[in-house]
Amino acid sequence: MRRSRVAYLFIAPFVLFFVIFYLVPVFYAVYLSLFKTGRAGGQPVEMFVGLGNYIRAFTDDPDFLRSLFNVLLFGVIQVPIMIGIALLLALALDAYKGPALRFFRTAFYLPYTLPTIIAGLLWGYLYSREISPFNQIFNTKIDFFHPIGVFFSIGNIVTWTWTGYNMVTLYASLQNVSRDIYEAARIDGATPGQIARFIKVPLLRPTLVLTLIFSVIGTSQIFSEPFILKTSGHYIPDNITPNTYLYLAFSRDGNFYYAATLAIILGIITFALSGFFLKSAFGVERR
Amino acid sequence: MTAPTVQKRQPRIIERPRRGRGEGSSPLTTVVLSIFAIYCLLPLWWVIVNMFKDNSQLFSTFGLWFSSPSHFLENLNILFTRQDGIFWTWLRNSFVYAGSTALLSTVVCAAGGYGFSKYNFAGKGWMFTVILGTIMVPSTALVLPIFILMQKLGLINTFWAVILPAVVNPFGLYLMRVFWDSAVPDDLIEAARIDGANDWITFWSVGLPLVRGGLVTVALFSFVASWNNFFLPLVVVSRAELYPMTLGLQVWNTTSTGQTPFYTVIVLGTLISILPLILAFLLLGRYWQGGLGAGAVKG
Repeated sequence: MRRSRVAYLFIAPFVLFFVIFYLVPVFYAVYLSLFKTGRAGGQPVEMFVGLGNYIRAFTDDPDFLRSLFNVLLFGVIQVPIMIGIALLLALALDAYKGPALRFFRTAFYLPYTLPTIIAGLLWGYLYSREISPFNQIFNTKIDFFHPIGVFFSIGNIVTWTWTGYNMVTLYASLQNVSRDIYEAARIDGATPGQIARFIKVPLLRPTLVLTLIFSVIGTSQIFSEPFILKTSGHYIPDNITPNTYLYLAFSRDGNFYYAATLAIILGIITFALSGFFLKSAFGVERR
Repeated sequence: MTAPTVQKRQPRIIERPRRGRGEGSSPLTTVVLSIFAIYCLLPLWWVIVNMFKDNSQLFSTFGLWFSSPSHFLENLNILFTRQDGIFWTWLRNSFVYAGSTALLSTVVCAAGGYGFSKYNFAGKGWMFTVILGTIMVPSTALVLPIFILMQKLGLINTFWAVILPAVVNPFGLYLMRVFWDSAVPDDLIEAARIDGANDWITFWSVGLPLVRGGLVTVALFSFVASWNNFFLPLVVVSRAELYPMTLGLQVWNTTSTGQTPFYTVIVLGTLISILPLILAFLLLGRYWQGGLGAGAVKG
């Protein structure tokens, strides 16, 4: 590998875009979060409030705290279920030796290729009381937008969209494992179940951690699904997730300062959680 | 994390046991996989069935099976002529946004990945860490300030507002670096230099052809990400003739209440909006897989 300043020319375009559309916005958001709109002689003016917006978010905004609690609870329930199913399917697909392998892989991955907004739109129809095939088949009148049920409805859309993606990621790294290991275990008398439990799952650990982190990031940012369900005319609370709540602060109230504050709080929490998972998965054994 | 390394497929010394010899897959495996496949495909089946219906059939007939008469052509006609055929415009916009983003993003990531893979330079380590770390920044934290910045630059309600912010793709840079690391040996670069090729020719004529797979993968990921993006266009464009398809369909769906709902037309629209993606996935599926495999980092 050569040491050369030419390298800067190669990375310059990326770095330029990165600075303009990543770093500047992030720092600008931090800057914005320190202000609020005040009034001076009837005119709206920018007023420096220091950490006032942050204090307000944590002490004087139960709606925001509720939205944080919602995604936290949602993440604790939905992410393990989704990754559990993905792991199970990846192991099943790895063990599968029939003719439909390609079909299964394609079918599982297909939902992920759909725009989330389209997925949400479709499920919105499937959840409509009058249209829902579920209600038609079982002759029920289930309300998929019940105050608690709505979390399961959204959880189902997220699971539908992302399980296949996670499964294919796990499956791909299983495919990279040399088959000799399994053969050796089999000769030693291990059953397929034991091979899965004691060889495949431990080997998948790094990939599992990555899918976990990406799922945590994704969960903290849920927006499209509740947004489209809401604009399709269903009842969805404004603060069902932090993103729907801060979008409202931004678009309806035009309160850029407070929206920026909430975005930064969300970013820091996501960052801390991802870092925590990374460290607890990889950091300890390194020492 | 240590330096990213692609797990390479090792040569198989012992062949995988042939089908039917002792250890076949159990029927339970097949059943589990089939059930999940049905779950994945059911909403798409629903789309295919219901794009043939009109609005009253949508409410009065069984959702998972066809009913006659077919209203497919009527729906198709409404879809492409409603509001002076604005659906065409949305379709075109989606292609322009996703195509430009994919092109720019791939070029920028290929060059950047080459720089990080084949050179040593001051600041290399921390720069790469900072770039990768931002994968965790929520898009809202970026999009809201980008809106305000764009507003100041007068770029709101232009194509650029949708394209430029989407060009930066930290995961794409990471992927390209991995591809450069694994597909182009440093010796080859060195040999090209000794033969008198300058840095640019080494990159362009010697290196690039070897990472074609990586280029397709990154282009594919950016194209799909841009095609599927909703939040960015929602915030930075407000004129209907600039909407991408996702935003257009969402707005139609929102306004399709009241006296003249046209839900089945929207259903047909959703299918058309995802056709390019399904096509790309079926034709270029192996590149997709390759990208995911490269994401499998050894701890």
